[in-house]
Amino acid sequence: MTDIYPTAAAPAPARKRLLPQMPWYVALGMGWIGTMILVALLSELITPFSFTAMDLKYRLVGPFQTLTHPLGTDELGRDVLSRLIVSIRVSLLIAFGATIISAVLGTTLGFLAAHFRGLVEQAVLMLADFQAALPFLILALSVLAFFGNSLPLLIGLMGLYGWERYARIARGLAISASAQGYATAITQLGAQPTRVYLRHILPNIASTLIVSMTLVFPEVILLESGLSFLGLGVQPPMTSLGNMVGYGREYITRAAWIMLAPSTVIVLTTLAVSLVGDWLRDKLDPTLG
Amino acid sequence: MIRYILTRLFRAMITIALVVTFAFVVLRLSGDPAVIILGPEAPPDAIAAFRKAWGLDQPVWVQYLDYFAAIFRGDLGISMRDGRPAIDLVMERIPATLALTLPALMLKLALGVPAGVYAALHQGTAFDRSVMIGAVFGFAIPSFVLALVLVLIFAVTLGWLPSGGRDTIWHAILPVLTLGAGGAAALARFTRSAMLEVLGRPYIRTASAKGLPWAAVVRGHALPNAAIPTVTLIGFLVGSLIAGAVVVESVFSWPGVGRLLVVAVANRDLAVVQCILLLVAATMVTSNLIVDFLYGALDPRLRHGATAGA
Repeated sequence: MTDIYPTAAAPAPARKRLLPQMPWYVALGMGWIGTMILVALLSELITPFSFTAMDLKYRLVGPFQTLTHPLGTDELGRDVLSRLIVSIRVSLLIAFGATIISAVLGTTLGFLAAHFRGLVEQAVLMLADFQAALPFLILALSVLAFFGNSLPLLIGLMGLYGWERYARIARGLAISASAQGYATAITQLGAQPTRVYLRHILPNIASTLIVSMTLVFPEVILLESGLSFLGLGVQPPMTSLGNMVGYGREYITRAAWIMLAPSTVIVLTTLAVSLVGDWLRDKLDPTLG
Repeated sequence: MIRYILTRLFRAMITIALVVTFAFVVLRLSGDPAVIILGPEAPPDAIAAFRKAWGLDQPVWVQYLDYFAAIFRGDLGISMRDGRPAIDLVMERIPATLALTLPALMLKLALGVPAGVYAALHQGTAFDRSVMIGAVFGFAIPSFVLALVLVLIFAVTLGWLPSGGRDTIWHAILPVLTLGAGGAAALARFTRSAMLEVLGRPYIRTASAKGLPWAAVVRGHALPNAAIPTVTLIGFLVGSLIAGAVVVESVFSWPGVGRLLVVAVANRDLAVVQCILLLVAATMVTSNLIVDFLYGALDPRLRHGATAGA
């Protein structure tokens, strides 16, 4: 790509063209996502207290009352801000992990269906039907009931969410791509199927897949927080955003801030990702529903 | 048309069989039922007797067929918690769940569909923009957050409505509102985009150009065509009548199927979990099937042998 733009100045107009087209709310959304990622990466450095540390002298302190606990404390005197920061890290880790697993799994199955057709394709489509027949929350709850709970299992389970969308997209696009000149040409030159799919077809359909990821990501956050809220996701002493809301619910009459802080983060994050995702979809691939 | 119906029926049955297989595999993978029920310290001869009594000494494929047969007889196992048949426990919770999800579905349809149609017909107006903003928020706010905020406002601060339980009709208002609001927003957005897509088609321009009044174009040409994708989503909403209230029932301590499921999962009461899993899948598949048949009625192209979505 760099060879096409021999002068350093060439990419600059492209950026200039992109920026004014970005509505203010998309810019805000990107800013919020960036902040959340930074918070998650730096969480160990910026938490004022350990998220499990109890300070029994300061129990149920409201937000903005002391400088030591800017977002207040909970029933056990744990700092809400510190817990919030750790929760953001855990929830984002699960959501990122799950989105990537589901994208890789779905794309692989879609490619396999497109390459082998016949029985393999029927099997993949049948699995997609199965997934559509069960609301994911119910599926996740039954697996957790049968196998108990652990963080890797939870991430793996969330990683099953939405795979069928990538599979459908990857299958459809790969079938139409293999009919196009470039895929045929590279096959004629003797390339292995893996090389054709990964080096040639994948880059061509990547933008559609990335847009799908931005659509799945907020749904994974909502699912994980829903499960954790029910007490069936991330288990204490570990904490996640949904966990904090579930815990704060007990104190809704006396200390609503325990529940409001993580709720705000959940809503703003899903809002930001969906706004950015919608905008990206309109930019990159308006055909996606 | 008959071929279409038969294909759909066949696929629906395959899907149900897959769900039953899934339940069987997961149940077997999760451990030896003899050890789970009798406990790890049970004497070996008791375990052997238990295995023989329940057919666990048979080859796996015989167990698998037995499992299928039992399910078709309506035998879904005994709840480990209170020793009653799992299916009875689930069935007695269904009315409570429907008491929430049916009014919520009405609310979604009554608000969502007209709002979406009106927004599409008046694209770019303030109303259209507020429908879109509402839809984005409706998606981003999880039901438990909405539920808790409503409790905070109407139960804790204003004291107008109860925050949980199922004693009077007042107890149902907040849960129904929580379920309905988010769904209405999603339905409005979906109806709007289905309607916009249809309004951009050449046959709409043709109908206008031949002098039909706009109201007749919308009623005769736009609405029937936009109904086709919208019916899919409504089918999904009907299918989730039983499973759609898990979180909301838990927030409002509403004694429905969802609450039962959460408690059963926490207690690892596998028979109850499996019973709900099968019931939900059956509801979902049935409503999808009805949607497929409705397609045939709504879309004349299908009656003449073309395939869906082509």
